[in-house]
Amino acid sequence: MAATLNATARTGSGKGGARKLRATGKVPAVVYGHGDKNVPLALDRHELELLLHAISVENTVISLVTDGGTGKDVLIRDVQMHPYRPEVLHVDFIQLHAGEVIRMKIPVRLSGNPAGVRDEGAVLDQVIYDIEVECLPGNIPEAFEVDVTNLGVGESVRVHDVSLPNVRILADGDLPIASVVPPSAGPEGDAETATGEPEVISSRMAEET
Amino acid sequence: MLAPKRVKFRKQMKGRMRGKATRGNYVAFGEYGLQALEPGWITNRTIEAARIAMTRHIKRGGKVWIRIFPDKSITKKPLEVRMGKGKGNPEAWVAVVKPGRIMFELEGVAPEVAKRAMQLAAAKLPVKSKFIVRERSGQEAAVAATAEGGAA
Repeated sequence: MAATLNATARTGSGKGGARKLRATGKVPAVVYGHGDKNVPLALDRHELELLLHAISVENTVISLVTDGGTGKDVLIRDVQMHPYRPEVLHVDFIQLHAGEVIRMKIPVRLSGNPAGVRDEGAVLDQVIYDIEVECLPGNIPEAFEVDVTNLGVGESVRVHDVSLPNVRILADGDLPIASVVPPSAGPEGDAETATGEPEVISSRMAEET
Repeated sequence: MLAPKRVKFRKQMKGRMRGKATRGNYVAFGEYGLQALEPGWITNRTIEAARIAMTRHIKRGGKVWIRIFPDKSITKKPLEVRMGKGKGNPEAWVAVVKPGRIMFELEGVAPEVAKRAMQLAAAKLPVKSKFIVRERSGQEAAVAATAEGGAA
């Protein structure tokens, strides 16, 4: 899957330059890569938002066209968002080189209804939503498909249970991807109850001396 | 109710709530979250009330995370006492919340149930808030929507 994004070269830098750019409906961005110089760019906000909604952000190769030139293949490395408004503040791209392995995060897709959820009313807890891998730019997978149909209560599917061809997984194999856990207690349960005042550390130290 | 087990000092200064939440501002554990849109102090009693409202609605099932902890002590002087004579006694524990902070997270329930549970929790809180869903890319969201539609 490939996508195209248009960009223009940017001259202003820093906080003031970025704010002025955002006021004109653009988003500051940068493209960098192994052995390449950093190139500051400006993107059209609307075009960027449409693209981000349409693709899998971390593992889609994008053809980045700067000032109408020839497109170069990049991956999105980071998207900075506003803390609570749906507004993109900055985007980092990493340039791909043919034959050079690249690290990225591949999303995990769970399929099926676990036996523990179906029969015993437990809850499926997805712990990891993406797995860090290393591969060549031509072998970038779309997603890890994980079937959780046979999971009972207390069982987990772990990173070492999944694999993809031509891809090296960098995450710790023992990490659980998803677990089936008993449901939380009722409304009155599981709140930690504090008894009286907390212990004051400084007073205890004073007593000891 | 949530409260610290050990503290270094019993009383604290009031402080100011400037700026936005730079940490804890994305859904990290569950599928759905309740995000603060303005700053405020949230007491341990309020957190407990919101948690109970949420868990009552989802009944058994689902998993709830409380992403804020009341680690700031608030003092109050007794009624009909003149000013002066030192700072009052600790009366409550509060969590300082800034805009963007995810206060609660939820997983293992249908989106409509999660939204209603978060609305009930939000009604207990002294800050404006909004219901948010974990960010997913376009393709994943489409796959999930198809799966949920199929399951329903």
